[in-house]
Amino acid sequence: MNIFQISYKNLLRRKTRTFFTVTGIMLSAWVLVTLLGFNRGYENSLNNDIDAMGFQIILTAKGCPYEAATLMLKGGTGLRYMPQSIVADVDKSPEVSKTSAMLMHAEFDPNKGENGGTSIYLGIDPQTYPEMKPYLQFQQGAWFNENSQDEIVLGFEAAELEQREIGDLMILPGSETEFKVAGILKRTGTQDDGMIFLPLKALQKTFGKEGQLTMLGIQLKREADANLFEEELYKLQDVQVVSMAQVKNTIMSLVTSAKVIVLSIAFIAFLIAMFGVLNTVLMSVFERYQEIGILKSMGALPSDIFKMILIETALLCSLGAAFGIIFSLAFADASEKIIRYFLPFTPNGNLIAIDLQIAALSFAAIAAIGIIGGIYPSIRAAQIRPLEAIRAND
Amino acid sequence: MKKLMLSLLLLSALCSQSFGAVGCDLNDPDRDVKRFFPQSTGYKTAYMSVDKLGGETLLKEIEEKLGDNFSGLYETIDVPYTLYTIYQKDKIIGYIHGINQKGQYGGLQVFLVYLPDLTIEDFYCQKLTSKKAKELRSREFALQFNGLTFKDFENYDPKTAQGGSDKVKALKNPNPQDDADFKAILRAVKKNLILTKIFINAKEAK
Repeated sequence: MNIFQISYKNLLRRKTRTFFTVTGIMLSAWVLVTLLGFNRGYENSLNNDIDAMGFQIILTAKGCPYEAATLMLKGGTGLRYMPQSIVADVDKSPEVSKTSAMLMHAEFDPNKGENGGTSIYLGIDPQTYPEMKPYLQFQQGAWFNENSQDEIVLGFEAAELEQREIGDLMILPGSETEFKVAGILKRTGTQDDGMIFLPLKALQKTFGKEGQLTMLGIQLKREADANLFEEELYKLQDVQVVSMAQVKNTIMSLVTSAKVIVLSIAFIAFLIAMFGVLNTVLMSVFERYQEIGILKSMGALPSDIFKMILIETALLCSLGAAFGIIFSLAFADASEKIIRYFLPFTPNGNLIAIDLQIAALSFAAIAAIGIIGGIYPSIRAAQIRPLEAIRAND
Repeated sequence: MKKLMLSLLLLSALCSQSFGAVGCDLNDPDRDVKRFFPQSTGYKTAYMSVDKLGGETLLKEIEEKLGDNFSGLYETIDVPYTLYTIYQKDKIIGYIHGINQKGQYGGLQVFLVYLPDLTIEDFYCQKLTSKKAKELRSREFALQFNGLTFKDFENYDPKTAQGGSDKVKALKNPNPQDDADFKAILRAVKKNLILTKIFINAKEAK
C-alpha cells in the first residue's frame, strides 16, 4: 500500500469530517468561480452592448447639434452641414471599419399644436446604418429596402404619436410625397424612440439638402487607436468629433471599481477556504497523534508522514474545488437570475461567463491555497516523536 | 461628474424597460384652458383608463355605443386619458378632453371643450397630419361642432359614416373628394363624447 492509498483511506475513515470539509471548500470554490465568471461576463456584456451601439465616433459639422433633444431645445435651428464627399475621405483611413452617413433634419409643422411644432427626421443609409445599430429591433416590419425612396421607419414613440402601423401612409410637413411605413422599432429608451427614419437620399431630396450631411457615424477596427484617429479627424476642416470611446472608458472605469470589490470578496472566500483547511487538517493531526506515533515507530519517516498529510489535504481541496466548479456551472443561470433581480441596470448577454480558463484557474488556486494551508499541519505531524506519542496513550 | 452622469444615462439607455400606452394631453394646459374658458380660475387634471375603470366589460360597452371596435396597436384598453375639469372658484364651468385617433397620414389629437351638461362648446384638433390639414383645423370647421351632444351622435355609425342627427348629417367636410380624415374626426368626436361621460360619472362616483 503506498502513501497515496493510505491518505485516501484515512479520509474515508472519517467520512463526516471529510464531507463537511469538502463541502466548505466546495462553497468557497463556488463563490470564487461565480464571482470570477460574473466579473468576466459583466465586462463582456457591457463591452458588447457598447459595441452594439455601432458608432465609436460621430463626426459632425462644427457646432452642429447631434442629439435630437439639443436640436429641439434650439427650436429645430442650428443645424450645420458637411459635404457628403467627407465620407470617401474618412473611408480611406486604415483605422476605419465602417461608416454610416446621416442627415438630421428639423422641419416646422404648422399642424402640430396651437402654434405649430418641430418634427425631427433622420435620413440614414439603408446599407450601413442597420448593420451599425444591431440593437434596434422591430416591433413590426423591417428596415426599408436599399433602393427604396418612399418608405419610412418609425421609432416606438413616433409611431404611437402618429398612430402608424406598417403599411400606413405618412406625409412630411411641407411635402405632398407619400411615404409607406416599412417598420416600427421596439422601444429602446433612447432618442431613437421618437425618431422618424427615412432613406438618406429621400430626405435630402424632400428637403433640398442634396449632397449634405449632418453626421457621419464611424466604427473603428478593433486594433485601431481611437485617440490617434480622433487627432487625425481634427485635421479635417470645420468638423467636430464626438467620441463614444470617452464614454466607454468612463463606464469601464466604473466597472473596474466594481471589479476590485468583487475580487476582494473572492479573496475573502479564498482565505476562508485556506483557514478552514488548515484548521480541519490540524485537528485531524491532533486526533491521530498516537496513530502517527505508531506509524513512525513502525518505520515511517518524517517525510512519509509529511507527504501523507499533504496528500490528504490536496485530495480534500481538489474534491472541494471540483464540486465547487460543477455547482457554479450548474447554478450559473440561477445566479444570473438572482443578480438581474437585484441589480437595477444590467447589460444584455451572459452575466456569468464561466469558461475553461476560469475553471482551471479556480481549481489550481483552491488546490494551491489548500496545500499551503496543509503545510503547517503536515510539518507538525512530521515532527511528532513516536515515544511521546505512544506514552500519551497512557 | 458629467462623464459619470453621461455613463449612467447610457447604462440606463442600454437596459431597456417597458412603458405604458401613450395618452393625449394638452400641449400647454395653462394657456389652452384660458383660451377656451377665459373666466376660469383654475383646473384639475384626472388621469383615467378603461382597464382601471371597468376593464373588458366597460370596453365592450364603449365599443357597443361607438358602433366600432377598438383596433390597431394603439387603441387599447390601457390607454391613459386626461380629463381637465375647469373651475371658476368652486364651480365647475366645463371640461376639456382629448383622444388620439388614427388618421390617413398620421395621428390626430381631437380635443372637445364641454359645458358642464356635456354639450360641445368648442372643437380643437391639436395635431393633424393631412394634405388638407389647414381646412380641417380652420375655425369654420371647428364651429360646426358647437352645441352638439352625444344624443346627436348616438346613431352615427363610424364604420359606414352614416346616421346621426340632422346636425351631424349637416357637418360639412371641407374636402369632399378625400373624406378619410373627416370620417376619422367624426369617429374621434363620438368616442370622445362617450368616454368623457364615463370619466365624469366615475369621477363623481368617487
